[in-house]
Amino acid sequence: MKRYVLLVIGLMMTATYLFPLYWMYLTALKGSSEIFQYPPTFWPSDPQWNFLEIWKNRDMGRYIWNSLLIAIGVTILVTMLGTGCAYVLSRVRNVWMEIALFAILMMQVLPSSLMVTPIFVMFNQIGLLASPRIAVILAQTAKVLPLYIVLCRATFVQVPRELEEAALVDGSSRIGAFFRIMLPLARNGILVTSVLIFLQSFGEYVYARSLIAKNELQTATVGLQTFMGPNANDWNGIMTYAAIYVTPILIVFMLLQRRIVSGLTAGALK
Amino acid sequence: MFQIEIDNLNKHYGGFHALRDVNISIKQGSFVALVGPSGCGKSTLLRTLAGLEKTSSGDVRIAGQSVIGKPPRERDVAMVFQSYALYPHMDVEHNMNYSMRLKRRPKDEIAERTRTAAETLGLSRLLDRLPKALSGGQRQRVAMGRAIVRNPKVFLFDEPLSNLDAALRVHMRSEIRKLHERLNATSVYVTHDQVEAMTMADHVVVMRAGIIEQQGSPLELYDRPANKFVAGFIGSPAMNFLPATAADNGALVLDSDSVRIGFNRDIAAGRQVWIGMRPEHLSLKPGVNDMTIGATVTGIESTGSMTFVVLAVASQPVVLAHAGRPEACKGDQVRLHIALDNLHFFDRETELAA
Amino acid sequence: MQGIIRTIRDGSGFDILLLGLALVYLVAFSAFPIIYNIIMSLQTVDMFTITSFKRPFVGLENYSTIFAQPIAATVLWNTVQFVVLSIVFQLSIGFGLALFFQQDFPGATYLRGLFLAGWIMPALVVGAIWKWLFAGDFGVINYVLTALGLTDDRIFWLSDPNVALYAVIIANIWLGIPFNMILLSVGLASIPRDVYEAAELDGAGPLERFRSITLPLMRAQLGAVISLGVIFTLQQFDLIAALTQGGPADSSNVAQYWSWQLSFQTYEISLGSAVSVLMILFVIIVAAAYVRSTRHEHSY
Repeated sequence: MKRYVLLVIGLMMTATYLFPLYWMYLTALKGSSEIFQYPPTFWPSDPQWNFLEIWKNRDMGRYIWNSLLIAIGVTILVTMLGTGCAYVLSRVRNVWMEIALFAILMMQVLPSSLMVTPIFVMFNQIGLLASPRIAVILAQTAKVLPLYIVLCRATFVQVPRELEEAALVDGSSRIGAFFRIMLPLARNGILVTSVLIFLQSFGEYVYARSLIAKNELQTATVGLQTFMGPNANDWNGIMTYAAIYVTPILIVFMLLQRRIVSGLTAGALK
Repeated sequence: MFQIEIDNLNKHYGGFHALRDVNISIKQGSFVALVGPSGCGKSTLLRTLAGLEKTSSGDVRIAGQSVIGKPPRERDVAMVFQSYALYPHMDVEHNMNYSMRLKRRPKDEIAERTRTAAETLGLSRLLDRLPKALSGGQRQRVAMGRAIVRNPKVFLFDEPLSNLDAALRVHMRSEIRKLHERLNATSVYVTHDQVEAMTMADHVVVMRAGIIEQQGSPLELYDRPANKFVAGFIGSPAMNFLPATAADNGALVLDSDSVRIGFNRDIAAGRQVWIGMRPEHLSLKPGVNDMTIGATVTGIESTGSMTFVVLAVASQPVVLAHAGRPEACKGDQVRLHIALDNLHFFDRETELAA
Repeated sequence: MQGIIRTIRDGSGFDILLLGLALVYLVAFSAFPIIYNIIMSLQTVDMFTITSFKRPFVGLENYSTIFAQPIAATVLWNTVQFVVLSIVFQLSIGFGLALFFQQDFPGATYLRGLFLAGWIMPALVVGAIWKWLFAGDFGVINYVLTALGLTDDRIFWLSDPNVALYAVIIANIWLGIPFNMILLSVGLASIPRDVYEAAELDGAGPLERFRSITLPLMRAQLGAVISLGVIFTLQQFDLIAALTQGGPADSSNVAQYWSWQLSFQTYEISLGSAVSVLMILFVIIVAAAYVRSTRHEHSY
């Protein structure tokens, strides 16, 4: 009996917490006059299906495409640079590795909004701002690479050292043992961490806003910010935009939720 | 011709001297056990042979060729790990023939040798299983199979039986020994269990703190331990030690009591020694060429076939072992018969055999 | 050349290569910008000198200019409030939820997982949603508050200088709760059950068990979560950009947003650098404390 009372309380708390999400979807479905009713309605009286319209009017395809490009670019770059580094940090133990790991942990916490000033000036001077999406990819990679390394390292630590040694004795080179034994065994962790990096980069805002000048190269976050504008009142449209944007993120997250959580906590506390 | 020669090998980890001036020569076809308490450097030595650890100085030759600086794959050695280290993402067959696939041997040769090895170890019906679907004993066999399938110059074993239960462990001891003979292999076997070392090996190397304390055949170590450490380490139950001082008339006087023990070896008067007595060389019944001292029985442990009697001799504990049922009761005052021919003496300062 | 290939195939060259790739990248795009930032904060950098490599050196002038600005005190105080209030509420609500979902009832783990939805969403989108929730005339929050009789008049959350900062803080607490809750749940789960059973046999009631077992054993976790909270709160930019943009009249402006405004809206880049240097320094100190605290954990 007590367990069901707890369940009901738990459901109520979860519902309260997720209310903003509900409100987003609800507003997206309401008609444009219904959103300005007071008192507000908690169920759409006349659901409107204006997702396609918003997608076309706000040029969302282009924004989402730019966000996707950046997120894919960051994810590829991060996995290529970070996987090997995470592996080495999990295997070799000496003072230099401790220092390298400490430096990486420090770089993990640098806020984008503070790093963007020197990066902007630096990129401007070396002409990188001429290809602004690449500039965002490079900056965002530097931002998330340390997190990727820390989380992946936790995965590699779980692969017993003897497996690699057995491969070496069996006649494998270091390179062979890395690609044929270590990578396959750490595959799940690498995959989940990459998804996490992808989702984070898909919602990137600071670098895109600061480094990309042309509107047609802008990302979905900046597109949403422009839509909101100073005197926005098309909340119906804005929430539709938001719903289109975050629904895929939420779906991917819910599918991988358990693994992301375990990977994340292992990295944060170890 | 020696298959493995280790000359003046040294290994440092930072400030820690893990191996000191190790010298071992191993004949083709022999079975060598490296034994010692944990942290003695036996595993480090084995891993150095495999090429998994770098050496600091000295030389290691396998089949006459120096392997210093060579990676493991160029040494042609196979190793069975304590954890077995089976590749969890490969089935038994692929675990076993991974090394041959790396060498790009012909397909039918790989298949043939995998099949033979699997038959030898009774794994034929498990070839398509993943390691997680195997029992502990089966995993151990796969780890062995992975080694024998390659027909390497040297087999290395790193405590391969320590994860098995007692009965299986005893069984696998003789299995490994038989396999070794059948393959006419050269094997180096690390263990902390001296019984395993004594029963399996032709040549036993006892190590402590990175130093070889003594090496030789099992019975050599048992009969003529070079120092107190080896004497105490080899043999079960362990050797008893009583502190004594040599008197001028050629007798030894126990320190704790003035019991005198006559003996026939030349020890300078006043020298302090340990008298070592193996439990199986003590008796409560008179024998040939022995002497007796008084003792009190403080405890009896019987396994049915063997009896261990714990005695107090001049307030020092001494264990006696004999076959069969107990012949005394706790609290009895008894006469302890010591066979003089089997006594060992160790200098109290150097702990070397006197 | 042969030697190099050999060490990469079989030796430590492989480690150095893999580690080097990432480290070189991080030095180029993370460490170097920090140093460059320090240099820029000692120069005059504006629209005219931005592309030049030879800029006038002004010493610490930028720093004194920053602190002489009237809004500096406001921004500093806002930042302190933003960080402290966010963390106090994120932590206490998160800890409460973690304790609640630690209990045994059907679906506990699943429901707890749903909370993370708030954490994975882009902060800018979360800002957009909260901006609509907070809306003065038609916002649902004002409706709920008046319907419950908590306020008589509508609160103009985002346009009233007295409450704008608190509106941002509330949204930020919402964002931070899941992370706090999950990390603390992991800590709670790692306390062995038999420790509680032993305490119960010793006669400790639920409150006493919480005080004498849960809290001391969670100390390391709490320390880690607080440091991470400070770090993440100081990273928060998107939410402010979506909700108030520091306004009205800088009443909700915080240091990390101010630094960006100086650089990208008024183009006083060297001033932005100076603020950023100070904040980065602070973040790194907190992070170093965090890393130290995780190294001295209770081992269970």
